[in-house]
Amino acid sequence: MLTFLVRRLMLAVPVLLGVVFVVMLTVELIPGDAVALMLGEHATPEAVAKLRDYLGLDKPMLVRYVEYVGRVARGDLGRSIQQNRPVLDELADVWPATLELTVAALLIAAVVGVLAGLVSAVWPTSLFDAVARIGSLFGLSMPVFWTGLVLIVVFAFWLSWLPVGGAGTPAHLVLPAVTLALPSVAMVARMTRSSVLDVLREDYVRTARAKGVAERLVVSKHALRNAAIPILTLLGLQAGQLMGGAVLTETVFAWPGLGRLIVKAIFARDYVLVQGAVLVFAVAFVLINLAVDLAYGVLDPRVSRQG
Amino acid sequence: MTRFRNALLVLIAGAVAAGLLASAGPAEAQKRGGTLTIVRPTDPVSLDPNLETTAPGAWVYFNMLEGLLTLDAKMQIQPSLATSYEVMSPTRVRFKLRPNVKFHDGTPMNAAAVKFTYDRALKGTPPARWASLAGSLSGAEVVDDLTVDIVTREPYGPVLRTLAMYCMGIVSPTAVGKLGADFSRAPVGTGPFKFVEWKTNTHVIIERFPDYWGDKALLDRVIFKVVPEEGARMIALQTGDADMVLFPSPALLPALRRDPKFTVHETTGIRVVFAGLHAGMAPLDDVRVRQALLHAVDRKAILDNIMEGSAGPAMGVLAPGVFGYKDMQLDRAYPFDRAKAKALLAQAGWTPGSDGIMQKGGQRLSLSWLAARGRYPKDGEITEAIQAMFKDVGVEAKVQVLEWAAVFQQVRGNPFNHHMFTLGWVTSNADADYSLYALFHSKQVPPAGWNTSRYANARVDTLVEQARRSLNQSEREKLYFEVQDILAKEMVWIPVYTTKEIVATKTAVKGFTIHPVEYNLWLGKAWLDK
Repeated sequence: MLTFLVRRLMLAVPVLLGVVFVVMLTVELIPGDAVALMLGEHATPEAVAKLRDYLGLDKPMLVRYVEYVGRVARGDLGRSIQQNRPVLDELADVWPATLELTVAALLIAAVVGVLAGLVSAVWPTSLFDAVARIGSLFGLSMPVFWTGLVLIVVFAFWLSWLPVGGAGTPAHLVLPAVTLALPSVAMVARMTRSSVLDVLREDYVRTARAKGVAERLVVSKHALRNAAIPILTLLGLQAGQLMGGAVLTETVFAWPGLGRLIVKAIFARDYVLVQGAVLVFAVAFVLINLAVDLAYGVLDPRVSRQG
Repeated sequence: MTRFRNALLVLIAGAVAAGLLASAGPAEAQKRGGTLTIVRPTDPVSLDPNLETTAPGAWVYFNMLEGLLTLDAKMQIQPSLATSYEVMSPTRVRFKLRPNVKFHDGTPMNAAAVKFTYDRALKGTPPARWASLAGSLSGAEVVDDLTVDIVTREPYGPVLRTLAMYCMGIVSPTAVGKLGADFSRAPVGTGPFKFVEWKTNTHVIIERFPDYWGDKALLDRVIFKVVPEEGARMIALQTGDADMVLFPSPALLPALRRDPKFTVHETTGIRVVFAGLHAGMAPLDDVRVRQALLHAVDRKAILDNIMEGSAGPAMGVLAPGVFGYKDMQLDRAYPFDRAKAKALLAQAGWTPGSDGIMQKGGQRLSLSWLAARGRYPKDGEITEAIQAMFKDVGVEAKVQVLEWAAVFQQVRGNPFNHHMFTLGWVTSNADADYSLYALFHSKQVPPAGWNTSRYANARVDTLVEQARRSLNQSEREKLYFEVQDILAKEMVWIPVYTTKEIVATKTAVKGFTIHPVEYNLWLGKAWLDK
């Protein structure tokens, strides 16, 4: 188990080095210059040159890459070009909010999605199944900024139950978490339904039923546990996506998260901040995948034996 | 010397009179207290003018940091931390400072603090972001505790307006020393409000400074919240979550204007948005072709149908609030007239081709056009509208829409390989020099300046140089008028609109006056009637 963990963590190092390189290269290749943008329309060429020099942006990309990796190894993510503030401080400001929103959305996706999928699978031709299938189609197809605005109009404007936006209290979390979770709920529900349906057709389920095992146990112990691996894989992928892909939800609800930070940094060509944010995001992704892999072992002992 | 001293005296007298008139309004029963909540689209980059000259930061720090001078809502220079000034030589202006002024940290504001602020900005590494806005300003010298000289490298006509810019606030040297890099997130100045808290991407809070030298702020606190989505900002105003909306949705303004619960404050801004013409590139090097393009554009239709009341007409290359502005009478000189446009093209040798596009010597009249979408209000839409209007007179425009950073890099580069570009220009120091010199002097072709049109006229060069070096404001004004007369004949822009500054508030927000300069969001006199 420990060897497995160490090996996986070692493998993460080249992944992270690669991520930093690709981000740096992308920012280098796209047109637009951080310093010129920062100083604005009115900057003199001398002012631009001075600041470029001060920030070390004149050095070749490979030199900057090696310097950056060296700094990161010492736990320093550099200073944001625009804000002149440590990237770690910038990330520390938004990270709690991002985590809060991601966890809440993931919980909603897992609980509602799995339950809805399960009920649909157990009663595949029922009215609930039909409603859930249409609902999941709706959840998948509606753009989040639209869903978000509709929820604001209904729950904040008409009913005055919840705040329009911002963060701070559990009430502030409800609308963004629901909005962000909707497409994931739909996906998880569909995946659960089809996986459970497949498992329910398996011989061992028939055997269990023939032995007289209660239907509740058949579904929860035999079917759901065996159907759990693809659902878990999906939830793992969703966790990563929810974390970094929440920019629209964050924008609509004025949620102070990582997505908005990254987008703002990209538009400003603040490559130090982009790199830092993507690096943290990549680490989180690696850890989530690791956790999912470990969970496979718990659910299916064959996996850990192979591992 | 005496001449410009006299001119300055006239200027001072005018400024004082304007100040007296401004304060002579009907007295309202002002109420003290309460928290004003403002929603705006983005968080500041920083609250230190050395690092932030854009609106999101300026809106906040303009209430905390004060300069020697300020511009009132009528665009007149008013004293702020300086009480009077005297021109000592063409490159030196002496300011008497207001006595007994304290910074928010309790330390005294004096000549040393002024010198510290300017040294930090102009001689620091790297220099302040506003250093590029400051023209020939070279620094400050202490004369005595309450007297300071502002020195320029060469005679610099716009010196007073430059010192009155929103980003010229004097900072506490003690606080800068103590806070170091953190000063950027917790600035200390002399303004009517002092800093309380900044939560990134959530809010900035400022509160009344009880030891303010002037009339104390009426509000207890102001909270600047970030709400990026336009629709959500408007809902926040309607649900009562916000008292004031910056960048309100233009589509909802008519309804707000009708509703007695809300007030829409608006005034003409100082940014002109235009379609620029590359006068150094054929066929736009022919003035008749450029004039034809002006006649081809129905600017009123754009204002009515695309801007929907959220912008004013552009009467020239400058906005009306700018010193040296002259109404260039563009509607009279270049009325929307397709026949006139076609006639001018015919004079220039262009005849209609089989596909309806004008041709000359086998060459089609096809123009490449670089534009961003979303940088200025409706910039994408107006570009498309003009493209369609050009087609009606046989001119093809091939528009390339890129993200702003990419457009910026190209227009700021040399050579520039497009015939046209959509841009906006704000005269940051409200002095014509800032625009007419940087945009139309032949030596200001990028990357040196912003003469993106590659306009070259020796007379214009002489006039803008002369006006820049003169300290006689009435003489300067005349020189700028002549420049605009010449530009009107040789148009290298199609000015489309002048921005409007619009802020929507609840009617309970009183005492707020909207300023033509977007950054000057002054809350020192605002109060809540609730």
